[in-house]
Amino acid sequence: MSKGLQIQNVTKYYGEGMNRLTALDRVSIEVEPGEFAAVVGPSGSGKSTFLSIAGALLQASEGEVRVNGKSISKLSARELSAVRLRDIGFIMQSSNLIPYLNVMDQLIVVKKMGGKVSAADKTHAHRLLDDLGLGSKLKSFPEKLSGGEKQRVAIARALIHNPSVILADEPTASLDTQRAYEVVNLIAQEVKTRRKAAIMVTHDERMLEHCDKVYHLEDGKLSLVR
Amino acid sequence: MFLALKEFAHSKMRFFMITIIFVLTAWLVFILSGLGNGLSTLAASTFQNMDADYVIFEQGSQSSMSKSLLSNQLAVKAEQLPNVTATSPMGISMTTARKGESNRNEDKVDIAIIGINPGSFLEPRFVAGHGLSPDKPDGVIVNETLQDKGFQLGDTFQLDGSMESLTIVGFVENQTYNHVASVFTSLSEWRKIAFAAPGSDKGIPDPVNAIMLQGKDIRPSDIDANLPGTDTVTRGAATQGLPGYKEENGSIIMMLAFLLTISAFVLGVFFYVITMQKTHQFGIMKAIGATNGFLGRVILSQVFVLSLSSIVVGILLTYGTAAVMPKEMPFKLSVDLVIVYSVILLVIALLSSLISVRRITKIDPLQALGRVE
Ligand SMILES: Nc1ncnc2c1ncn2[C@@H]1O[C@H](COP(=O)(O)OP(=O)(O)OP(=O)(O)O)[C@@H](O)[C@H]1O
Ligand SMILES: [Mg+2]
Repeated sequence: MSKGLQIQNVTKYYGEGMNRLTALDRVSIEVEPGEFAAVVGPSGSGKSTFLSIAGALLQASEGEVRVNGKSISKLSARELSAVRLRDIGFIMQSSNLIPYLNVMDQLIVVKKMGGKVSAADKTHAHRLLDDLGLGSKLKSFPEKLSGGEKQRVAIARALIHNPSVILADEPTASLDTQRAYEVVNLIAQEVKTRRKAAIMVTHDERMLEHCDKVYHLEDGKLSLVR
Repeated sequence: MFLALKEFAHSKMRFFMITIIFVLTAWLVFILSGLGNGLSTLAASTFQNMDADYVIFEQGSQSSMSKSLLSNQLAVKAEQLPNVTATSPMGISMTTARKGESNRNEDKVDIAIIGINPGSFLEPRFVAGHGLSPDKPDGVIVNETLQDKGFQLGDTFQLDGSMESLTIVGFVENQTYNHVASVFTSLSEWRKIAFAAPGSDKGIPDPVNAIMLQGKDIRPSDIDANLPGTDTVTRGAATQGLPGYKEENGSIIMMLAFLLTISAFVLGVFFYVITMQKTHQFGIMKAIGATNGFLGRVILSQVFVLSLSSIVVGILLTYGTAAVMPKEMPFKLSVDLVIVYSVILLVIALLSSLISVRRITKIDPLQALGRVE
């Protein structure tokens, strides 16, 4: 069974009966470790829905989702939490850091969710933050960080558990072009060096040059562009 | 605990305010319970500390010493009844002690004269002087609080409206009845005081107010059946029958119950509002992979730490208050009571935070992605 992320014939309906809306229509995609895919599409086309299903936040109405070789379609809410914690790194549109934790603790808390935190975990977190250029900001609180720094902390947070899949929902939306490039570049680097399967949803065509494949989503239908 | 403490450190002001509310509540609860305990001790400590299990009253006296009048001849019969190991008669009169011949206000002190058989199980242990003795019928042993009113060992005092004078031969502790100091004397001396007016004993031979029984397995109905015209109750019920005791205790317990209920609501609402404000954060953590259990523990540990520290501060404040309270204030805080109310407060706080925990389980992690409005 192959690693990475496989989505097969996933359909998602919102609502019931007459009001039923098909947000995703038999979507299939496969992302291998080390591959960075982008999904673009107009507003309302179903991008966030797609990413939520890939990220174990939302259950598909039909079809199958495999994360790291394991089907998540029939898991309980509790098991889904565990999948999100161990196998998926989610980078959100705004960095969504926890206001009362400093940069280091933002990562430690994710470790805590999975159990005890060892000294090795701390050195790992430290190194990760160093790699992302945040070595001098370990004790800073989110309110003291720039938008790009926050987004980098969010990336570090998504990587701390060494997930096999990285999902990013418009990670550059709140950043200027310069910062946006840096952030996407960072994600691309992580994907290559640590062999992650990554999907980034974006509006911004300029961000696509770092991606291996580009998909287009429109009216719930996914098609490969490049 | 990690998240809980980090958040305390970051939002000191917010948690400080809740702590203040909680401390004040705890303080009030402890003070009130101390006062209640003090009052009931003052009203009944002689009864509470008495080494008796059951009490025989006159039928129709509603378990009240002042309404009951029996002949001590019943005691002999009662002793023969099954499960009764010992009996001892007792009489109580409320009166006023007068020091010397003066008419100054501070030289008059209300007391309860308690007539017992010297050496019986009703005689409390003396802490100074010596006990009652049949050789000295006008000797009394009195509660040590009378020392504060200027009564010394060996002092002789008059009783208002009586020719009798009594001499203090010993002091006892924790003996009060009907909010005044207990003065123990022999039954014969008590009868002289209680039935000074001719005919006030209704012609009953060897009159007493009640007969105290020892014997763990006594069945009150047996006694009542064998001794016509009597009514036997437990010592606890007799305590309840003391004048004003039930009413006094009832009001204090009412106040405490209201206080605890109201504080449960106030704290619950506080915790809920704080949790609501953090809905978004909790959503993010859920999206990252936190389980309901993890987030529930964050809330509960936060409430636990907050409650525990507030209760500890409340206890310190209460003991501080007790130290500066005037001595006459009937305030008595027992360690047991403090522990019981601490646990009640802690449980109330944790229970009231459960609505917040429930709220968390309902948060949809998708919210964190800005999807659901
Ligand atoms: N919880 C929901 N209930 C009902 N309909 C929904 C729900 N969430 C999304 N939809 C609908 O599903 C469709 C796809 O929504 P989605 O949020 O996935 O689009 P999107 O591509 O992310 O858009 P945008 O670029 O504006 O973020 C939209 O028509 C939306 O109205
Ligand atoms: Mg969207």
